Amino acid sequence: MGVLNAFKFRMNTLAIVLIPVCIAIDWAGHALAQALHLFFLDSIGTVLGGLLAGPWVGGLAGLLTNILSSGSTDPIAWSYCGVAFAIGVVAGIGGYYGWHKTWPGRIILYVLIVLAASIISTPINIGLYGGGSGVAYGDAMYAALVKSGWPTWLAAYLDEASADIPDKFITVVVATAIYFGLPNRYRALFSVWRRSPGEPEPAPAR
Amino acid sequence: MRGGLSLYVEGNSLLHRAHPFTKGVLMLSAVALAFIVPSALWVAGILVVLLILGTVAGLSRRLVTGAVAVVVPLSLLIFAVQGFANPANRTVVFALGPIVYYKEGLAFAGFVVLRIACLVVATFLFSFTTRPADISEALMQSGLSPSMGYVLQSALQIIPQTLDMAVRIQDAQRSRGLETEGPLHRRARAYLPLMLPLVLSSLLATQERAMALEVRGFGLSVKRQSRYVFADSTPQRVTRWLMALAPPAAVVARVAGWQ
Repeated sequence: MGVLNAFKFRMNTLAIVLIPVCIAIDWAGHALAQALHLFFLDSIGTVLGGLLAGPWVGGLAGLLTNILSSGSTDPIAWSYCGVAFAIGVVAGIGGYYGWHKTWPGRIILYVLIVLAASIISTPINIGLYGGGSGVAYGDAMYAALVKSGWPTWLAAYLDEASADIPDKFITVVVATAIYFGLPNRYRALFSVWRRSPGEPEPAPAR
Repeated sequence: MRGGLSLYVEGNSLLHRAHPFTKGVLMLSAVALAFIVPSALWVAGILVVLLILGTVAGLSRRLVTGAVAVVVPLSLLIFAVQGFANPANRTVVFALGPIVYYKEGLAFAGFVVLRIACLVVATFLFSFTTRPADISEALMQSGLSPSMGYVLQSALQIIPQTLDMAVRIQDAQRSRGLETEGPLHRRARAYLPLMLPLVLSSLLATQERAMALEVRGFGLSVKRQSRYVFADSTPQRVTRWLMALAPPAAVVARVAGWQ
């Protein structure tokens, strides 16, 4: 079954109800991260939604998280909604193939999410801030790299990646930990989205 | 986070009464234009127009204080980075020890900051004058599926509840001796015991919510009736189209050599 099967639009009521919950988890995760002075951690709900219910739920949760936070606390966030959408879609593909169930798969999931986030953010950073990322330590590194002759796009990418690498690590660890903390019965509820008629019932996650 | 998420300010100005789409198109095309026009003077012009619109809506104080709070910290960083490290730097302005600041970089930083100010002011103008519920209502009236409308509206309700719950869980875990301060690894370890109970309880509520919605006919494919329809007018429609066509026109002008 090809990757496109993951994108078939099979939204039941449960999947639709899951989207706002994922958005709220994104917000709460970000609020708790702020309280602990950790990184952004604003995509745990997006990743979890993708793992549980596929690329559309994850992508929409990411997109709407950024749009809604533009309407209240962070007016710049909506320029990055494409990044959040991509993170949700990657997590959804990972959920479709069950990457979160094996160690090599978890590493692939983490690497792909970091790549998606950093590659899509970099052109936005260059357009918006002229290269920096708006995070002080990353921008100090950007300034040092450009000053010593590195091309600006590469410095801008490293600036962004320096924030994404630890941030998305905690995100993926927490999202998979929560996934495996859910009752089996509950995970199976959402897994209907990935089965086409005739396919056997998915094995319960370990 | 008291009082919900919305930044909406009650009012009865022209902007408050305008159709949500008109304001949405105004915001998007103002931001797009700010990133297309060639010089800082043009960007400043767009910013002035946005501020005048805000003043007409009676929001000038809020708009300026909100925008300053967001833009000033960012602009300090941008000036510090670009003035020091912009590749076009030639003319020295001043030096702080080994760190030399150049004219070209500072000018570029000024341009960038003006564009960000435009983006922030346009976004605030939209969220100050538009109820979030109106946006999803207007989208549904022009063909968005009701389930997506539900997603938007219920997210707006669930987020404040979840944030309140986050505060409660934080207090509860602290009273049990969870350390939430100290070095990075200790703070990172404290994150999971805070997140897990929060996520589990909010996820477990979804099944009940889905059943409650199904019982009330959420999944039915019938046409929904609206309690009220947003006032739209021909002048507004024309304005919307003109504003929507401005950014592509500006791109064409730039390609044709607008300096």
